[in-house]
Amino acid sequence: MPETFANGVIGVTDNKCDQTPEKNDCCGDSQPCCDSKPTVTNCCESAPAATSCCGGETKPASSCCESQAPASGCCGSEQASSGCWGSAAEENPLLGRFNNMIGNCLDYAIHAKNQGRPLVGMMCEYTPRELIIAAGGVPICMCGGSQDMIGPAEQVLPANLCPLIKSTFGYHMQKANPFMEIADLLVAETTCDGKKKMYEILSKSRPMYVLELTQKSGDPEAFDHWVAELRKFKEELERKFNCVITDEKLRDAIRLMNRERSLRLQIAEYMKQDNPPISGRELIEFKSIISGIDEDLEQYEKSLCELDKTEKQRCSKPVRVLLTGVPMAHGAERVLDIIENKGGLVVAQETCTGVKPILQNIDENAPDPLVAIARKYYELPCSVMTDNNARLDSLRELVEQYKPDCVIDLVWQTCLTYDIESHLVENFVTEELGLGYLKIETDYSSSDSARIELRVEAMLESVASKA
Amino acid sequence: MITVGIDAGSRTIKAVVLDAEKKQILASGIVDQGIRQHDLARDLVESLLAKSSLAKSDIHKTVATGYGRNLLTFADRAITEISCQAAGVLFRCPQARSIIDIGGQDSKFILLDANQNVANFAMNDRCAAGTGRFLEVVATRLNTDIFNLGNLALSAQKSASISSMCVVFAETEIISLLAENVSPAEIAAGVISAIASRVVAMTGGKVADPVVFTGGVALIQAMQNAIEKQISHEVIVIDQPQVSAALGAAVLAAR
Repeated sequence: MPETFANGVIGVTDNKCDQTPEKNDCCGDSQPCCDSKPTVTNCCESAPAATSCCGGETKPASSCCESQAPASGCCGSEQASSGCWGSAAEENPLLGRFNNMIGNCLDYAIHAKNQGRPLVGMMCEYTPRELIIAAGGVPICMCGGSQDMIGPAEQVLPANLCPLIKSTFGYHMQKANPFMEIADLLVAETTCDGKKKMYEILSKSRPMYVLELTQKSGDPEAFDHWVAELRKFKEELERKFNCVITDEKLRDAIRLMNRERSLRLQIAEYMKQDNPPISGRELIEFKSIISGIDEDLEQYEKSLCELDKTEKQRCSKPVRVLLTGVPMAHGAERVLDIIENKGGLVVAQETCTGVKPILQNIDENAPDPLVAIARKYYELPCSVMTDNNARLDSLRELVEQYKPDCVIDLVWQTCLTYDIESHLVENFVTEELGLGYLKIETDYSSSDSARIELRVEAMLESVASKA
Repeated sequence: MITVGIDAGSRTIKAVVLDAEKKQILASGIVDQGIRQHDLARDLVESLLAKSSLAKSDIHKTVATGYGRNLLTFADRAITEISCQAAGVLFRCPQARSIIDIGGQDSKFILLDANQNVANFAMNDRCAAGTGRFLEVVATRLNTDIFNLGNLALSAQKSASISSMCVVFAETEIISLLAENVSPAEIAAGVISAIASRVVAMTGGKVADPVVFTGGVALIQAMQNAIEKQISHEVIVIDQPQVSAALGAAVLAAR
């Protein structure tokens, strides 16, 4: 079983829910499993605080409250070097079915494939999932997060390339990503040079469609070209999968994705609290490489209900950290673990595996849904855009809402666009926002963990000494 | 109040016994790093206590720093060498605003604000370029030691151009230069100039005066000259630059 794909999101065509449900839906009378006793997750003791909100009663696995508090250890230096939920086998009850995210997605993909639905692999958040869903397809994120795939990739790709690209490509070479093996199409965009050229090699042996992402933000003609690219992509999907993508189907897909983004954002917003009920490491697990799976959406709702009743006891007040920069594909969460094991709490992740793709929804009533979809994706503030001032605007808003004490900027080695842009981010963070800033440049190997720990600790010490 | 600071670095272990109220260093010492660094550090502290006629019970607090900081279980706390280096330099030079620290396997730049807080810092990542270890490798290749390497560099009329900043590749480059009959003095000067430019790049152009140079490599006069030349600021080397992180640990132990 692979352990390594990034943030994904996509889903099914039949759309049952037009609106974002009320946060507490799952605690209604129909599922009277919740009493008012809070779940206390205590990170300061070795034994789990087993306060179950459902008493000793056995509940079905899908119950929103079958909650044994997790034995989460999140207390800085007292904690062993492994992450709170890292690769450990222990199950986090708050996460519910996301504990088995990859397994669930594989079951779902195989079932969908058997039903004749096309599986479409994607490599980047710029891929408009709505189009794939409207074509009856299943969009699946293919980004690699495994160090083990780097070696094989380097037989073909230069060593001096970002680990995300190499790992993704290594899965292709090793045929180790089951989703890629059964995908009917891979879709990608012209984002960075490394990805763009890697796709050319990938296209020699995989069905591949590359969208030209124009990169001049705020330029109307650049945007028009992006819209034209999406129209071509729509026609390609219709031709290849022998379907008709109507405006109504696009609107259904928009509603489905809006609902999923809203639910994920509601969970992320718990990090605004003074003492959030989860860690940043737990938060990043609340997603799926396939979006729009009904059971996942139900799980988000159940988890939201649980979060309301969960209180985390922390031995000391953590330093609040905003993490920005590159995506942390599934399996590549090492820096997040380090920050939280050293006494930080990552309250916001301004990354493609964090809140970046879910901050903005799509207008469900736009006259031309395709243009509305194009708009949402075109406005994603990735460092491939020039200028990318929208990222700074987003950082400002996140800092106001999530109140971090400092900003940590993660850059994968040789990711030129994020690496260079960090200069602008540092100036903005230190001078305009008045916060401490630390840049960490690394790859997927752990050889520099001790040095990263040192820098993170020093950052947290300097914040604490000013407090 | 007597405090102890220990800096378990990559090449040596340093310790300082401090009378925090009188702001007086009672004893300091350096031993080579080894496999059992916990014992080495404990023995060093005990010998310093004996030298200053103190007992273990006289020690109020002990703080460990350096890459081995978490292994010294007898210390009350571990604090990073960035905070400790800042505290140690400020003890000696309260008006300091920039610190360049070059140790055995690290080089760091620390920017301090007007309130003596760490405002920003940068350090080398995976690689040993721009560190004392780099100088050691070069010295060995030139059949000398690290201090003579500095003297050699001072005697050079011009400096060789060393373009590689990887220790392994630089060694290869030096072999090539020797084969071309370039003098060891010019090579030494070239290496020191290359390290200085690496360290100066790390400052990101944010240098504020006064600039203090610390860490074991600060004992090499040629390095100080090279940094001054490239950074275009006066660079002050404090007393006993090797022990300043240990001193800072002792200072922070009193807080």
